[in-house]
This record gives sequence, structure tokens and C-alpha cells, in this order.
Amino acid sequence: MKTRTALATLVGLALAQGATAQDDPKLRADNVPPEDRRGGTLVAGQHITVTHPIGTVASGMRNIAGAQLNAGLIRLNDDYEPTPYLATSWEFSDDGRAFSFELHPEARFHDGEDITCTDVAFSVKTSQENHPFKTMFTPVTDVTGGDSKSCTMMLDSEHPALLTALSPGLLPIIPEHVFNDGQDMQSHPRLTADVVGSGPFKLVEWDGNDLIRFERNDDFFIEGLPYLDEIVIDIVADPSTLALGLESGQYDMASLWSGDDIVAAEANPNLKVIDKGFEAIGSIPFIQMNLRHPNLEDVRVRQALAYGYDFDQYNSLVYAGQHRRQCGGIQSQSPFYNPDAECYEHDIEKARALLSDAGYEEGDLTIEVSTYPGQLQTAAEVLKQQWSKIGVNVDIDMHPDEVTMLSEMTAEDSDYQIGLVGLWNWGDPVIGVHRSYNCDNRKVGVAFSNMSWYCNEEVDALLAEAGAELDTEKRKALYFQATDLINEDVPVIYASNEVWYTRMQQDVQNPPDGVWGWMDSWAETWIDR
Amino acid sequence: MSVEREGVEREVVAGAPGVFRAAVDVRERDAAPGRAALGMFLRNRAAVAGAIMMIVILLVSYALPPFVTADKNDFVGGRHTPPLTEGAPLFGTDYLGRDIGLIVMHGGSTTLEVAGFAAVLIVFVGALVGAIAGYHGGWVDKVLMKFTEFFQILPGLLFALVVVALFGASTLTIVLAIGIIAWPPVARQTRSEFMKQKSLEYVKAARAIGASDTRIILSTILPNALPVLIVQITLAMGTAILFEAGLSFLGLGDADSLSWGYYVGLNRQYFLVNWWGVTLPGLMVFLTVLSLSLIGDGIQDAVNPKLRGR
Amino acid sequence: MRQASKIAKRLAEAALLILAVIVFNFMLVHLAPGDVVDALSSGAFGDASEEVNARLREQLKLDEPVLVQLCAYIGNVLQGDFGYSPVAKAPVMDLILPRVAPTLLLAISSLAFAVVLGVAIGTYAARRPESGFSHSLTVFSLIGFAMPVFWTGLLLLIVFGVWLQWLPISGMVNLRLPRDATLIERALDVGHHLILPTVSLGVIFLASFSRLARASMLEVLQSDYVRTARAKGLPERTVLYKHALRNGLIPIVTILGMEFGVLLSGAILVETVFAWPGLGRLAFTSVLTRDTSVLLAILTLVSVTVILANALTDIVYRLIDPRLRVPEAT
Repeated sequence: MKTRTALATLVGLALAQGATAQDDPKLRADNVPPEDRRGGTLVAGQHITVTHPIGTVASGMRNIAGAQLNAGLIRLNDDYEPTPYLATSWEFSDDGRAFSFELHPEARFHDGEDITCTDVAFSVKTSQENHPFKTMFTPVTDVTGGDSKSCTMMLDSEHPALLTALSPGLLPIIPEHVFNDGQDMQSHPRLTADVVGSGPFKLVEWDGNDLIRFERNDDFFIEGLPYLDEIVIDIVADPSTLALGLESGQYDMASLWSGDDIVAAEANPNLKVIDKGFEAIGSIPFIQMNLRHPNLEDVRVRQALAYGYDFDQYNSLVYAGQHRRQCGGIQSQSPFYNPDAECYEHDIEKARALLSDAGYEEGDLTIEVSTYPGQLQTAAEVLKQQWSKIGVNVDIDMHPDEVTMLSEMTAEDSDYQIGLVGLWNWGDPVIGVHRSYNCDNRKVGVAFSNMSWYCNEEVDALLAEAGAELDTEKRKALYFQATDLINEDVPVIYASNEVWYTRMQQDVQNPPDGVWGWMDSWAETWIDR
Repeated sequence: MSVEREGVEREVVAGAPGVFRAAVDVRERDAAPGRAALGMFLRNRAAVAGAIMMIVILLVSYALPPFVTADKNDFVGGRHTPPLTEGAPLFGTDYLGRDIGLIVMHGGSTTLEVAGFAAVLIVFVGALVGAIAGYHGGWVDKVLMKFTEFFQILPGLLFALVVVALFGASTLTIVLAIGIIAWPPVARQTRSEFMKQKSLEYVKAARAIGASDTRIILSTILPNALPVLIVQITLAMGTAILFEAGLSFLGLGDADSLSWGYYVGLNRQYFLVNWWGVTLPGLMVFLTVLSLSLIGDGIQDAVNPKLRGR
Repeated sequence: MRQASKIAKRLAEAALLILAVIVFNFMLVHLAPGDVVDALSSGAFGDASEEVNARLREQLKLDEPVLVQLCAYIGNVLQGDFGYSPVAKAPVMDLILPRVAPTLLLAISSLAFAVVLGVAIGTYAARRPESGFSHSLTVFSLIGFAMPVFWTGLLLLIVFGVWLQWLPISGMVNLRLPRDATLIERALDVGHHLILPTVSLGVIFLASFSRLARASMLEVLQSDYVRTARAKGLPERTVLYKHALRNGLIPIVTILGMEFGVLLSGAILVETVFAWPGLGRLAFTSVLTRDTSVLLAILTLVSVTVILANALTDIVYRLIDPRLRVPEAT
């Protein structure tokens, strides 16, 4: 498929010359608004609250707002190829240990200061010290160039994931002159007040709970962009409110979490629904098993649970059939995914046989499934029923929210049994996949670490090798091996591959449907109204 | 609050201003004893209707389930099937294709039990505090009333949310939270009742012959205060049910037993395509609280006939 | 003057209660399992850094004896400083302040709705004490009490927002309102959004207020004072509105203070159903994000409001009806 071969050339490109300078690159140059359609306000409905929009110090859905506020060095196009953004050109040294790039001459922060290598250096350092994804920049030892626009990143090992990590969502470039004052970055007052950014939109209003307002950055370094005058992001936890708001025209776009909503929206002639976008996120709901717990120590029990899992029914009940099958730790749209990998096909007999081998007959085993309100609670309800068919009882352990559940799962000597969590691949396996399986990432108190407490030395070695392998084909082979091994050990059952649809009004043009979806700049979006 | 007007002492009593209500009665002091009261109750159509409804609800929640073998968690068929659809469960199906009727039937015992425990706690604490305050008077009364006022001030649901955030959301914490919030009105009612009783002849007589305070409270005053307490119990249960429903609607409840309020909360996000999933369990909460209130009101009227028609 | 000293006493009691609430909240946090800092910053899970925790420790003076901590806490609260929320990464007051107005708006309009309509209905029933209307009022009031407020809200939402599409389904403002909209347009917009939440919340009290109004109006209408006025030949309207109504309102005013606490609690559910941007909704989302600092602050603030409202109604009550001898505020 085009995507895979294109991504295969990604690293090749990076190794060679890097993209040459294109003046003011637009990813959607074929759909430019006429003069009288420029401007206007886009109202988007989002369902997850975020505390501040600065993705340099924290991860998650804040990147939706963050990518409007701050720019990154590159942007990935639909083929996962890096295209110029703040960086106009770049190249790797022959040994892959130095990455030099040129910053756009017109790039300035919202307060007028130039964006220079100092800011990039500061942003990388801030990320290394604060961002939960340590693997993004661990090999980076320094960024030279000072107050000029010609910079070099020094690496102490080969790092094929680097370019992906330079996306606006993962490394937003923040102003060193604003943040470098000795205060703790996690609680810095400028995170939410008087925010100065580098992106196509300026922050006008941020109340941290319900509403975010952006206005156009007239001095944005890309000529003609952004097209919109204003963006309003309304944070509404309730899918019905989002759905109704879309229907009534209150929202132009809505993020989506209910299968029923998609079905309804598709039937509505005033709306359009796309399933394109967010491919790089790779959201995989995990049925995560705690290998420390006596109930789940035995691999046969885990495999039985995997055979007892009925994806088709799960998908139709929980997601109205809108998700895709997922059989490995690397999401199915990534080139590193093994399409020939063996899946645990639903097989009640096999499951019962395995349980019997492990010494459990009908009703002997009771498993506790931890979850929290929302779709994952529905998921727990379905699992309860499905596993009762193989003779396993399920108790649902409700937590009021995801945070409490994660606290419990990562507590010292935690005795949770199964937890339902959603994990994202974040583009390159090094960033979002390794963390779930590395022996040295079994950490107390760290959310989304190796919460299964899984350790397989062979897998570790394979992952380490793949993480530093610059040859794509070799890398693929290594990942195929690793994921196959992980599948045999089954520390996690992959519930599905979550498709992130976007519903919008018919007249929204160039919706953010790139590989990062909404977590990329909306500068080229416009409304034909 | 006690108000004197034109020499006739009246009580403006706030009945169970727990989370959701203040039903206020202006009450006079005449009482009709035992059997006559029952007769009066039975002639009160609303009260009888309430009693019948309550019996039906209890039957459905406790007598019916042992005979129904179907598992409420089974995915019976299509999702979001409306009630009265041919070939589908009578009350329709929910977002997982489960039989709503079955779930609502099973939800009753959970709701009633949590509310029941809370009501017991409410009445026990409230009656205890009120009895001591009303009987002893003086500084004991003052101190206890200040204590009562403090807990009456605490905003109910909010306090429960804080407790949950700090101590976790288990049945125990929820029962305790509800109990802590709702006992003050019971205390007040009990107190005023005891205050009146203690100046009555037979109490004075009991004192004169040297009976201990405890004995007086338990064997003379309490039986006479019983009608008042029974009314308080029904009101407390009603409040506790509403409280439990509210908390579990917000998601703070048991996910396996699916109480009514909890189920409304679960179905809320689908209400655009499935309004019956929200309406039916909510209706059960409503009917239960209504019948309890009608019964409580009926008892009150039967014991104090001057209140009829108010 | 007796009256003045009684008022002063009442205010002093209120102050004492406020102090008690603050101390109580302080104790709650310390009673919770785990370290206080953990309780406060657990919501910042994964994001909370050692610096933030250290700062919190310092701010709360956790290394000092409990009494010192308590005094520091009380001092801070009295100055309106509720500290910093490690979860929201902002001072707590910053989060709370913008949400006070929407909740107050909702609370006051619900109360007003319930009082006005309740008194009207109650008065009507009092004038026809033996009618079917009057008898059914009792049942009606019980129905109002029995309806869970979130259910009422949802039903109203479904009927008026979805099926009939007469009223907006969520929020306080229309996000698409142009920036240059006039004050009147904005006020109308908010009013439009206010209708369903107000009715949902007000219906609970409407029922009991009408019943209360009827009871007290009945009494007043039969009192000597009113009979005299009637005997004097004053028009019925004057009798009703000038004399009876004013006295009939007193019991309602009496309990208004207490009802405020109930109202604010009910607001949590209504604000959740209607996505109303007030304190109730903030409280609920704070439970979700385990933002204990914010929750405690809201609890304190609301308690203080209730205490003050009670004290106020008590004082007003004394002032407007000096005929009533109130032996003790109990």
C-alpha cells in the first residue's frame, strides 16, 4: 500500500539529503479558498478537558490546542514524509549522529521575537526533563546554533524515530525567553496565562475547563496562512451534546467516540464523516493483564482469555461496528505491523481446554476487571458476558476516573488483575510501543509504563535493536519477530484498532485529516460559507 | 425553628431537607391513637395508593427475581430496540442489547438496600441526638443543636463528592456520606417530640417514682414518639433513594449491580437514540420515592387529623 | 436594643459556623488515606513533579505541627487564598471565580421561579380550600419532591430540546454569537439557555413552596387581622396582596436560607445534565480529575454561602415581623 512504501522511504529520505527548501509549503495546495471565503470562525466540539496547551511538558489531547498555538520543526504529510514547517531544510550526517537544519527566516513568536536554535534547544531540553515520552529525545545530547537560524542536533546513537518526534504535537517549539526563568516548567504560570506561541493561531481565551479561543496570527511565517480568523474549541464531555450540537449547527466539527453517533451522522445529509486522519496516533484499547497476579501468571490462562474474546461481538456492541481488528502491539496501519501475524480467533473450546490444562474448571476462576465510566465501562460489561461463556467469572471494579485507576494499576506491588486502558502508538514504535513491554520500564507510579509487569529478555533485545536500526526492511523484520513473541506471551489482549472519525458540516474544507489528525495545524482549514 | 405566635405554639418544621427537598408542615398538637389512626390511613386514597405501589415495587424487587432465570447481563438481541416491539423484550433493549426490564427489576434491590442502610443510619443517629437533646434540654440541648445545625449546613451532594474523592467510592462511603448529610431533620423532629412529651403527666409520674432517664426514654416516650419516627423513616428512605440515585447517576456506584440511578447514568449518552433507557429506571426511582412519601404523609395525617387537606 | 444585640449574636454564630466548616474541611483532608500531598496532587498523576509536591508541602507547612498548619490554612482561606491546584496547574481561585456567576444565576432564577409560581399557586389554593385543586396540591407537592432532578432535566431536555427543538440543549451561551452582539442580545441568549435548567431545578421547590404558601395563607386569611380588614370593607385585592401575602411569605423566607444548600447541591446534577458552566459542573469534573483542592474550596465556599444565607434570612425574618417572638434561633 502506498502508505507503507512511503514510510519505508521516510528514513531513506532522512538519511540522504532531507527535503530541500520549499517556500511556504502547503500540504493542501490543491484546495485553496477564494478571497471571499477566507476568515470566519470554526467551532469545534472536543470531549476531553486539558489543563494547558503546551505539549512540550505533557502529552495527550492537549496537542489539539497545542498544534494551533505552537509550530514544530516539520510536519508529516499523508505518506508520513516529513515536510518543511519551522525547519526549511535538513540533513543527517553520514553516521547518523548529527542532524542539521535551517529555521525559517520569517519565523517569529507571537510577541515578535525571532525563533532561533536557542528556542529549539530549550524545547528539546524541556521535553527531555518533563515529557513522559523519554524515548523521543534520549539520544539527543545537544542542540547547537545559539541565536542563529542554523542548528545542529547532536545524537549519541542512531535514532530513526527522530523526525517523527519533531512533529508539532510531540515537540512544540516554545519561547526560551519566556519560560527559561528558573521556575518549574510543570507549574509555570505562562503555561496558561499570557501564552506566547510559535504557531498559526494566538491564544485568546483559556479557561481550562470549557472553552478555548484562538485568533489568527497575522504574522505567521507561512504566507497566506491561516485561512480562518478564529477557532473556538468547546469542551463537552457528553457525546449526545456533541451530536446534537453538530446537528443544530452549533459545531462545525466534532470529535467522536460513539459508534452510534457515526452511524447517525452518516445518515445525515448535512454532515460528512471521514475516517481519514489520526493514523499516526494508533489508538489501541488494551485489555491489560497484570502478570504479577496469581490468577494471570499462567500464560495458558491469558491465552484462554484471548481465545474467549469475541472481537466481532465486542466491536458491534461497544463501537457499533466502527472499529478494526488489531492483532499485535503495533497498530495495523503502521508499516511495522505484520499483516500475517497470527490472531487469537474467537474459540470457546480452545479457551476452555487451556483453562482446564491450567487447572481451572467452570466457575473456578474469578477475574477483576478495572475500568472507569465511558466506553471502557461498556467494554467491561461485554467482556463479563463473553468470558462467562468460557467459565470465567468477572467482577467489574469501577473507578471514578482514569487517573484513579491508573494510580491503582501502577501502585507498588499492585494487585490489579485486568485493566482497560487506551494506549496510543504515537507514530514511531520507539515512542509509544516499546514502553509497554520493556523490562526496564516496569515502573511504580508511572502511568502507561509497562503496566503488565512483563519481561522477556529476548523481546527486549529485539526492541532495542529495532529502535536503533536505520534500515527500514531490517527494522520491520525485527518488529515482526518481537510482536510475534509478545503475542505468544500475551501480556495484553488488543481489543481493537480505534478509528478516529471526524464529523463535520458539509462546508468544512481541508479538515485536519492528516496522519496526526486534529493534533496538527488547522492553518489550512477553511469554511465554504 | 420554633415560632410562637398568638400564644399557640406551632412548629415550622422542615422535613428531610436532604439533597432535594423541603416539605414543610405546620403542625398542631392533637393526636389520634392507634387503631383510629389505621382507619384514617386506610381511608386516605393517596396513602393507600402509595402503599400498594410500594408493595408492588417490593414484590418486583424481591419476590420476582428468584423466579426469573434469565441473566440480566445477556445480550438478548438488537441494540436500542424500543419497548413493545414484536419479538423483542417488553421494555426494550439498551446499548448492549440487554433486556431493560430485567435490569430494572434487579436494580431495585440494590437501590433499596443502599438507601435502606443509609436510612437506618440517618434515623438512628438523628433519633439518638434528638432524643437526648429534647429530653435533657439546657446546655446539652444547645450543644447538640449547634452540632446538628453544622451538619445541616453542609451541602449534601457536594460533601458526598468530596468524601468520594478522598476516601473512594464504595457502598460503605456512600452510605456514610448520605447518613452524615441527612440526619439533622430527623434529630430536630425527634427533639421537638421529646420536648413535648417530657412535660406530659405520665412522664412526670414516671420521674416521680424514680425511673431512670434511659428507662423513661425507651419505654414511655419512645413508643409515643413512634408515629413521628415512622414518618421520619419513610422520609429518610425517600431522601436516601434520591441521594443514591444522584450519586450513582454521576457514576459513583456499583457497576455490577446496576442500581436505577446508575443505570440512568449509563444510558444517558445514548438518550438521543434510546429515550426509554433513561426514562424507565428514572421512573422507578420516582415511583418508589413517591409511594414512600405518600405513605409517610398518610401516617402523619392519620396521627394528626387536623392536617388533612393541607 | 434587644433587636440589635440579637442580630449581632446571630452574626457571631454565623462566624463561628464558618470557622467550624473550615476546620472540618481541613480535618477531612488529613483523615484521608495517604499523605495529604498525595491526596491533593494525585489527580496530577504522571504530571506532578517533585518540585510541585515540594512547593505544596511548603505551602501547607506539612513539616510543622498540625495546629500551626490549621492556623495557616484558616488564615489563607479568610483571605480568599485557596491555594494552588497541582492538577489544574492554576490557583484554585482562578478556576472558581468565573464559575460563581453562572451558578448563582441558576440558583437565584430557580428560587425565584419556585417562589413566585409557588406563592401564586398556593394563594389560589388557599382561597378555595375545599376544592379539588387544593387537595391535589398535596399530591402534586409530593410528586415534585419525588422526581429525581437529573431525570426531570433529561426528560425536559428530550421533549423540549430534541423532539420539539424549542430550546437549546446545553451550555449557557450560543458559541456562534457574533463578537459585536449587544448586551441585550447576550442577555436574551443566556436567558434562552437558562429556561430548561431553571425549570428542572425549580420544580422540586415549586411543589413544596406552593404547599407551604397555601398552608400559611390559609392561616393568615382566617386570622383576626385579615377578618378585621375585610370587615372594614377593604377590597379583597388589597386584603390579599397587601396584608395576607406579606405575612404568608414569611415562612417561605424562613426556609429559603436552608433551601439554598439543597439548591446548590441539586445544581451539581442540573449543571451536569445541561453542561451549564458553573460551580456544580466544576465540582463534578474535579471528582473526575481528582482535583481535591478545588473540591474542598467549593465545599467551603458553598457552606459559607449557606451559612450567610441562613443568617441573613433569620435577621430579615426578625426585622420584617417583630410581632413574632422568637425565643431562640434553633
